Amino acid sequence: MESLTDTALMLKVKDGDLDRLGLLFERYKKSLYGFFYGMNRDADVSEDLVQNVFFRILKYRYLFRGEGDFRTWMFHIARNVQHDHFRKTKKHRGDSIEAWQDRLSVNDNRSTEFQKDEELQMLSMAMERLPEEKREILLLSKYQEKKYKEIGEILGCSEGAVKVKVFRALQELKEVYLQLEKQM
Amino acid sequence: MKEERIKELISRYNAKRITPEELKEIEQCIESGEISLNDLDGFSVLEERLHLVEVTPPSDRLDKGFYEMLKKEKRSGQRSFLKNFFHWPEFAPRLAFGSVTLITGLVAGLLLRSPQQQNEEIQLLGKEVSNLKELMMLSMLEKESATERLKAVSLTSEMDQASQKVTSALLQTLNNDDNVNVRLAALEALKPYTGDGSVRQELIRSIARQDSPLVQISLAELMVTLQAKSSVRELEKIVHNKNTPADVKNKIQESIKVLL
Repeated sequence: MESLTDTALMLKVKDGDLDRLGLLFERYKKSLYGFFYGMNRDADVSEDLVQNVFFRILKYRYLFRGEGDFRTWMFHIARNVQHDHFRKTKKHRGDSIEAWQDRLSVNDNRSTEFQKDEELQMLSMAMERLPEEKREILLLSKYQEKKYKEIGEILGCSEGAVKVKVFRALQELKEVYLQLEKQM
Repeated sequence: MKEERIKELISRYNAKRITPEELKEIEQCIESGEISLNDLDGFSVLEERLHLVEVTPPSDRLDKGFYEMLKKEKRSGQRSFLKNFFHWPEFAPRLAFGSVTLITGLVAGLLLRSPQQQNEEIQLLGKEVSNLKELMMLSMLEKESATERLKAVSLTSEMDQASQKVTSALLQTLNNDDNVNVRLAALEALKPYTGDGSVRQELIRSIARQDSPLVQISLAELMVTLQAKSSVRELEKIVHNKNTPADVKNKIQESIKVLL
């Protein structure tokens, strides 16, 4: 039902009622931020990327046909934004490891402060250690509320293939989590 | 896959006694939907826990940035309709549609115009040819040979619409040519132009001038066909002429009767 409302809102945005985008922003800014934060572990970058997603939604609003789910379309854009960001920062990552580590530690503190549950802290750490592809599928599964068919649309694969990817990612997450547990 | 095998795979996985081959089998079952992730130990809990991992909410900077961007976009949208109209992503399909329509129009125009142009050229060419034929005919009528003059007269049948020059030349031939066959041919050639009042009048005047019975009878028949009552006086002149053969007189009198 909410998805229908999202679509209706986005169609109004497409027709020039730009204020409606504010409603969609309020509805999804946290999910998008969570996705980008999970991928980059950087609050400022994640905020910039969320804004970038909405900028693209505005710019390419004429492409929204209202046939599919708005959230799926939005996460499709988010994934492209993430990939573009990854490509851009790839070069800089190698030559400024210290800066990267500094940023990680600052953000880690911010993140861990929020995780009251020790188990969740460990899980969050385990997520960070996953390869990007596996982290992405788990974050999409989380923020797309396990709608594997929609995730398949974002990734360009079948629902079954998404399930297998989630299975593999969860399996590795479990292994990393157990390793961390041993170290504690 | 058989239900028993699926159960076996799940129990082996949960007991952590799975082989790499069996793991592949499990993946196949997950893909086909025969095994759910919830069937495997710890997965549903892990996913649930993962969903509980929260991130600090974004700062006000995000809101500020977004609403600033929205405001800017709204302002630029209002700034000018023309700019919006020519905005490339939206303008591109419009431009494409316009171009296609224009090109289609041009092509259609060309296609439609071409035959007309061709027709005009053909008409022009036809006119030139008939002008040439006219010239040829007029010059051939001057020839001494009766055959050549006959050919000249027959040329008019190939003309769609003979000019006044041609009809006058034909009337001239009908009245003055020495050869009966040529005169008869000229009379035949003039038949299509009997709709023209002046031609008809000239034909009537020509009746009295003819001395050849063949031409006289042909003219009388033509007058009957044309229902030219004004020709009766001319036809009577032939009847009253002493030199007119009796057969011709009878024939013409029959024609006069019909006309009256």
